[in-house]
Amino acid sequence: MRILIADDHPIVRHGLKQVLAADPSSVVVGEATNGDEALEMARKLEWDMAIFDFSMPGRSGLDLLGDIKKEFPGRPVLILSMHSEDVHGSRVLRAGGAGYITKESAPQELTTAVRKVANGGKYVSSSLAEILASECSSDPQKALHEKLSDREYRVMWLLATGKQISEIAKEMGLSPSTVSTYRTRILRKLGLSSNAALVHYAVRHQLVG
Amino acid sequence: MSDLAQVAGVERAAHVAPQGGEAEGGAPGLAKAKILLVDDEPKSLFALQQLLATLEQNLMIAQSGEEALRLALKNDFAVILLDVRMPGIDGFETARLIRARDRSKSTPIIFLTAAADEMTSMFRGYEVGAVDYLMKPVVPEVLKSKVAVFVELFRKSERLRESEDKLRRLAAHLISVREEERAHIAREIHDELGQVLTGLKMEVSWLAKRLKDKPLIEKTDSMCAMIDSTVQTVRKIATGLRPEMLDDMGLVAAVGWQAKEFQKRTGIRCRAKLPAETKFDIDVSTTMFRIFQEILTNVARHSRATRVDIELTLGAEQIGLEVSDNGVGIQDNELHARKSLGLLGMQERALLFGGDVRISGSPGHGTRVSVTIPLSRKPK
Repeated sequence: MRILIADDHPIVRHGLKQVLAADPSSVVVGEATNGDEALEMARKLEWDMAIFDFSMPGRSGLDLLGDIKKEFPGRPVLILSMHSEDVHGSRVLRAGGAGYITKESAPQELTTAVRKVANGGKYVSSSLAEILASECSSDPQKALHEKLSDREYRVMWLLATGKQISEIAKEMGLSPSTVSTYRTRILRKLGLSSNAALVHYAVRHQLVG
Repeated sequence: MSDLAQVAGVERAAHVAPQGGEAEGGAPGLAKAKILLVDDEPKSLFALQQLLATLEQNLMIAQSGEEALRLALKNDFAVILLDVRMPGIDGFETARLIRARDRSKSTPIIFLTAAADEMTSMFRGYEVGAVDYLMKPVVPEVLKSKVAVFVELFRKSERLRESEDKLRRLAAHLISVREEERAHIAREIHDELGQVLTGLKMEVSWLAKRLKDKPLIEKTDSMCAMIDSTVQTVRKIATGLRPEMLDDMGLVAAVGWQAKEFQKRTGIRCRAKLPAETKFDIDVSTTMFRIFQEILTNVARHSRATRVDIELTLGAEQIGLEVSDNGVGIQDNELHARKSLGLLGMQERALLFGGDVRISGSPGHGTRVSVTIPLSRKPK
């Protein structure tokens, strides 16, 4: 597996090579320090896969990805980024990227991703998969929390962030008994039985942050 | 001259040198105020000029209503002295026409009239915008002090306008400096600090793979976890200063992202109606984005809303943003009290680009904020 890497930070390139070296079947054939250089190397060198930083000086991000995909449509490009997955993740995949990995998870995920992508697949980390799932959970199977009314949703959120009934009542200008009624209705609608389950639900669906 | 000093204001009079009264009119650094004298008789004009010469202002003369109108079109006068009886357009008509123009709609006019003209004409004069009347023959001291009052008034409003303008420019400057600084710090933190942490993580991971000793592996694992959480913090700080989305993907994406973040952070449901993602002028985008953030901050702080509806529209000539919530509704007195610097800040930011912020609310029916910013105009 001949790999082209591009990152403007020497320390990251060094780290990447170290991580990739763990797999003897892969070899780094080119190291670009910015987007334009990456494109140039892609044209000159023989390579099977590219690993690019999302933000580099000059051409970068989705623009660079688009250019590479246009000239080398069949070859996988993995995008590494300092930005979290919810910012660029799904855009990168839609633009033809073979995978999106945040830099801090590179040591654990990069070799798996490289192997996966080399066989023509796409690499999606578990946290990105959650985001993608929530993005396409549109009408047909509406997420349960989408069925809550606006007020129920807010009460649910306040409960999920650990607020007491009395605090919620004060915050929302309602009586505590009304809030309790809301709580019962929310738990029923979400099919849950306790506050703990509610917290778990909210975290799993990334409703709290 | 000493009576003039009194008129000009105690403050100023205190600085007048005892022997020289000239200081009043020609204070250093101040342009002379323009005074227009209108009379069809050259003799009267000459007399007025002589009388007012001691004020050391810029005296302009006109011998007819037409001439006066022409001059009023091109100049801002501190005061106009207008003879009532003139052939052609008389004084009243001239005054009416002068006051009808936007530029001169509040220019003070003093009518000069022969005593024989009596009360009826005086009333007519006030109707067309006279601020005062002087009977001919004019008493020199009275004329001079009246004119001096208007000169002073003119100067004061000029100074007020200047300082308003200065404050506005200063505010604009501060806004752009702060924005640049935030962008710079965000980039430094995110790129430099973030990348080094990434490198560090890779080094520690490399080390971890070569360790056999269980306690040592536990140490490197906890180091990795610490680095991860530090990266998260760095990311949070950088995004808080300036979301990278705005620069990478443009306003539309940034608004969508911010709306989602807001919902996650407050539990207030956000529904955003957004146009297709495009990028346009980054300064306009930044302005709109910051205003949007301020609106959301206000929603979270004051509204008790459970829902926010956002609509961003992208026209050929302007971008529009509508944010409405279902909260308690901003009260008119809150709006007018202008206590909220946040609201003022939004307005100033929009104004900088020739834009506009409108806020309306009614108790129990939520608050609605509409922002429009033209795309073509760059700030002054």
